Formats: sequence, structure tokens, C-alpha cells
Amino acid sequence: MSGHEEGHVCSCATPYHPWQARITSIIDLTEKEKLFELRIIDADVRENFTFDSGQFIELSLFGVGEAPVSISSAPSKQGFIELCVRNSGDVTGALHRKQCGDVVGLRGPYGRGFPFEEMKGHDILLVAGGLGIAPLKSLINHIHDERHEFGTVTILYGSRNPSEVLFRQQFDMWKHRDDFNLILTVDQPDETWDGEVGLVTKLFDRIDVNPDNTYGAICGPPVMYKYVIEEMRKKQMDVDRIYVSFERRMKCGVGKCGHCGVGHQYACTDGPVFSYWEAMNLQGAI
Amino acid sequence: MLFRILSKDHVPDLVRGLATEYEVIGPVAKEDKFVFAPIADASQLRLDYDTTLLPPKRWFLPNEERLLKFDLADETVTGEGIVAPPRVLFGLHACDVHALQLMDKVFLTGTVDPYYEARRAATVVIGVSCIPDGECFCNAFDAGEVHRGFDMFLTDIGDSYYVSLGSVRGAEILDRYVETSQVDAEDVAKFQRVSRAFVESFSLDVDATQLPVLMDAKYDDPIWEEFGEKCLSCGACSIVCPTCYCFDVVDRISPDGKSGERVRTWDSCQFKDFAAVAHGQNFRGTRASRVRYRYYHKQLGHLTKYKRVLCVGCGRCARACPTGITPAAVIGALQKGAVQ
Repeated sequence: MSGHEEGHVCSCATPYHPWQARITSIIDLTEKEKLFELRIIDADVRENFTFDSGQFIELSLFGVGEAPVSISSAPSKQGFIELCVRNSGDVTGALHRKQCGDVVGLRGPYGRGFPFEEMKGHDILLVAGGLGIAPLKSLINHIHDERHEFGTVTILYGSRNPSEVLFRQQFDMWKHRDDFNLILTVDQPDETWDGEVGLVTKLFDRIDVNPDNTYGAICGPPVMYKYVIEEMRKKQMDVDRIYVSFERRMKCGVGKCGHCGVGHQYACTDGPVFSYWEAMNLQGAI
Repeated sequence: MLFRILSKDHVPDLVRGLATEYEVIGPVAKEDKFVFAPIADASQLRLDYDTTLLPPKRWFLPNEERLLKFDLADETVTGEGIVAPPRVLFGLHACDVHALQLMDKVFLTGTVDPYYEARRAATVVIGVSCIPDGECFCNAFDAGEVHRGFDMFLTDIGDSYYVSLGSVRGAEILDRYVETSQVDAEDVAKFQRVSRAFVESFSLDVDATQLPVLMDAKYDDPIWEEFGEKCLSCGACSIVCPTCYCFDVVDRISPDGKSGERVRTWDSCQFKDFAAVAHGQNFRGTRASRVRYRYYHKQLGHLTKYKRVLCVGCGRCARACPTGITPAAVIGALQKGAVQ
């Protein structure tokens, strides 16, 4: 461990024991969301920390509690992880009050992410609504890092209004790239908005999908899944090539505490990413 | 399996012997009911008990347990040492031995829970036969007989117990502390008679036919609304259930605000916020959805994951529910298509 990383290292003897991580950067994305970059203090742990896009960690604010947060950075970005966090509860609120250099806890990564290797060689259609962009951002960045492995890549991203568009600076730059077909839409435009207006499902009129060669991934508010899946099915996409990521109350992260039960499975160990075929078999999931 | 005959007169010897090396926990009388509690004197052990208010799970998964301590000033986090004293659980009925094995699946497979693992390893399990009462339905879920998961199992055959030895540890303990005799043909005949009488003594009819399929096929059945109307979301059913393992994890800060602890506590899927997430979203916000989830998870979810349904028919939830939402009523309604 280098000299300036003097944090107290814990033994992590049990699966519930978090590692300590330092906040190395905080970027205000919107009024409610910030992007936190974290660096695990223990060098050995940090170097062995690998994850898949779509997996999550349990974030610890000592004295407040733990909350599951999906990782937004790509697995290829080593040494750091990024979390896109909305200030919406006790733990996330406490995180939002932290400063650069402060220490928090984290453990993980947990769950099953997107089938990145399986998706290679195919066209990709990603659909995000609101904060649902957070886990998909990891996948987008990962695809970006290995862009040559994929066919066409289409990203549809819907927000309520322009001030809630996450990662807007980066996406504004991407609008002019020809290797990513990125379409942003908002429900309520303002005078600055020059993108699409309306629900994200409306964007399906604007895209071509080769159903024999396309993998889809969806993340957004619970109400969104059904309608986006309908559009994907209209494009003849297979039920086992559409992937959804679910937000649930993963408390322990390791399939014990029972809080994230969805249908007959647990989001923390069986998900949070499920194929639509699996999700169809999960009662109450969609 | 190896067997011995243990005279009932010698049980106090066994308890006193065990007490020299172990903390002995067993059924003791509490007013007109029974509870599992430390045995201070061999005479307190009531192997003739009907059922206990709470299951033995707290000796493996305490209702409250510290996971770690933290110091907020110097930002240190200390894991809590795992305390697992040598212990004997004396007098578990077959249903509770089955329940322990179901807990084992949850806590000892996948990510192993070291707290549970340590306590399980340090605990000797001695089972004892029982006589079903009007709320028992272990027979519906193949939990009336048990052939593994114990160190020894005592079947009451009159003046003595027919002892099944389930482990080396069980055999050694029996040899060390008490006088036993070999089993003869007459003992086997007695064992068969009491086992037959047990099978024939159930008064409650719980029809488990195709229940896992019915959980899906009748997911939207109006019976769930009807039971939801009755449910108080008190969580008593989960607290008294020997197989309900769900827990919450909470941080507590000391009064001076300088340090704190993270503890896990028993929780219940029947509590309103159990499946709630941020932004006001609650995936099981209605009582009907929570009652249904408890049955759905037990009869189908657990079966899918661990190859056995998560109910041993002990009847504790039926006795504990203040509004009569019993497995017999719920399963009966599913089978017959209406709340009776």
C-alpha cells in the first residue's frame, strides 16, 4: 500500500464485512444524482476486485446502513469503480453529504450481470429509463472498450426532462458518433432541448432491428419494462435474448436475508439481470 | 444405522453427563406451554412436551446478532468474533430436525454464513419422538420421520427410548455418559408399533398434492385477497416458524455518536416495508401480496432453489396466527378453490 492511503484495513473475515474505500471524485450529474468514484483502500483487495457489467455492490455508510448500488463504470476500468447514486434514502443521502477523500464501506460484487461474452458478435439494443441508465452505463462503457466485437449498437434513453438526463455531457458528444446510434428523449422538453420528445417506446419507430442477431438490455422504472418488451417483441426479438435488470431490496447480497425475493428467485444471487424468458417465469416481476 | 436402548430412568444421567461439557438446551415448561431453554437441572427436561412456542432456530440464528463494530471518529471497522459455545439441543421433534436441515441449505451452501456454520458445528442435536396434536401436519410434507441431521434420535417405546445413532459424536456421547443396552427383537417390534401409531394419529388433513404447481396456476386467485383482508401483518407466523430465516441488517450508533454496531435481526416478509426500495416503490405493498409471497416462497421458491419445500408442518404458525390464517386453511382453499 502506498503511503498516502493510510486507511484502516479490515480483515473481512465474514461475508458481511465491508472493505473500506475512499471517494476519489464526485461529479454532480443532476440536482439529485451524483457520480462517485471509489477506490478500495486495501491494495490486494483492490487488485483482485473484478466484476461484470450489471452486478452491484453493497455500499456502507457506517452508522446509517447499507444499500445495494449497481456499478456504472466498465469492468475494464481497473482500480476504481463508479456509482451513479440518486439522493433518495438514508444511505444514499448520507453518501451525498460525503466529500472527496472521505471513506465509505463496500462489499461485493454481487449477482449476475449481463451476458457480455454471449452478446459479442451481435447487434445490441439498450433501453434505459431515468436512473436505469446507471447499470447500463457499465455495459455501454464495456462495449465501447471492445467496440470491434459488436455489430450495430443502439442506445435509447428516456428521461422526464432535460435537467434529469444523466451523463449528458458524454452523451451530447456521442450524438455525432457513427458507431453508436444514441437517441435521447424526454417527456417534458424545455427551450434548450433539441432531442426527441415522448416516451422511450416511441423511439422504436426510428430504429431497425435484425431480430436474428440482436441482444437487448433494459433497465428503468418498474412500469417501463412491459412496454419496452412489447416493442422489442414487435421487432421479433427472441425472449431469451432480451435482458432486464431489476431493482430490489438486496440487503445481504448473498442470498440469505430474503428481502430481494422476486417470484421464486432472489434478485441478489439469481439476478439482478434476468433474461425476459426467466422474468416471464417470475411471478410479479414485470 | 446403529441403535441402542436407553432406559427412561437413565435420561437424567445423560443430561448431567452432557452438562459437564455442554450447555444443555431442551424443552421446559413455561406456564401451560413449553419453550426451549437452558436446562439447569435434569428434572426440568420435558421430553413429553407437545410443541414449543418458538422453534430452536434462535440457537443457530439468534434473534439479534452483532456483525461488526465501527468507530466513527477514526474510521475503524472491527468484525465481531464468532461465539459458538459447545451446546446440546436435547429433544427436537422430527419436524424441527428437518427444519434445521432446511436452514443448513440456506446458510451453508453458496456463500457460507460463518456464524451459523460455527454454531451448527458446535451443537449436538438429540431428537425425540412425539405425538401429533390437532395442528400438526408434518406428514403432509414428509417431515414426520427423520433419518439424518441428528446426532441421536430417541423414540419413546414405553419404559425406554429406542435410540438411533446418527453420528460418531452421538455414539461417543451415549457411551461416555450413560448405560445403554443392545436392541432385541421385542424392542424393534415396539418401535414399529409406536411408529405405526404415530402415522395413524394425525387428525388434520392437509392436501399437498401439486402445491408447487398450484402456487403458479392460482397466483391470481381471489383467495389471496380474502386472506389478505384477515392478515394483520404482525409477522407472528415467521417468528415462530422453524424455517423462516429472513433477517434485516441495521446500524446502531452509541449515545455519544462516536461508535456503533451493525446487527442483524429476525425479520418477516409480512412486514409492510420488507420489499420496499427507494423512491417509494414497494413490490409487496399489500397484505394479500405478502401473505401470498410467504406461501409462494415456501412451496415453490425454496423448492426450485433447494429441492425441498420450506415447510415441515410443525403447526406453530397455525397456533400463533391471531386471525386463523393456517396452512390447513390456505392450502385447503387452494385445493378446493374457495376459502372454507
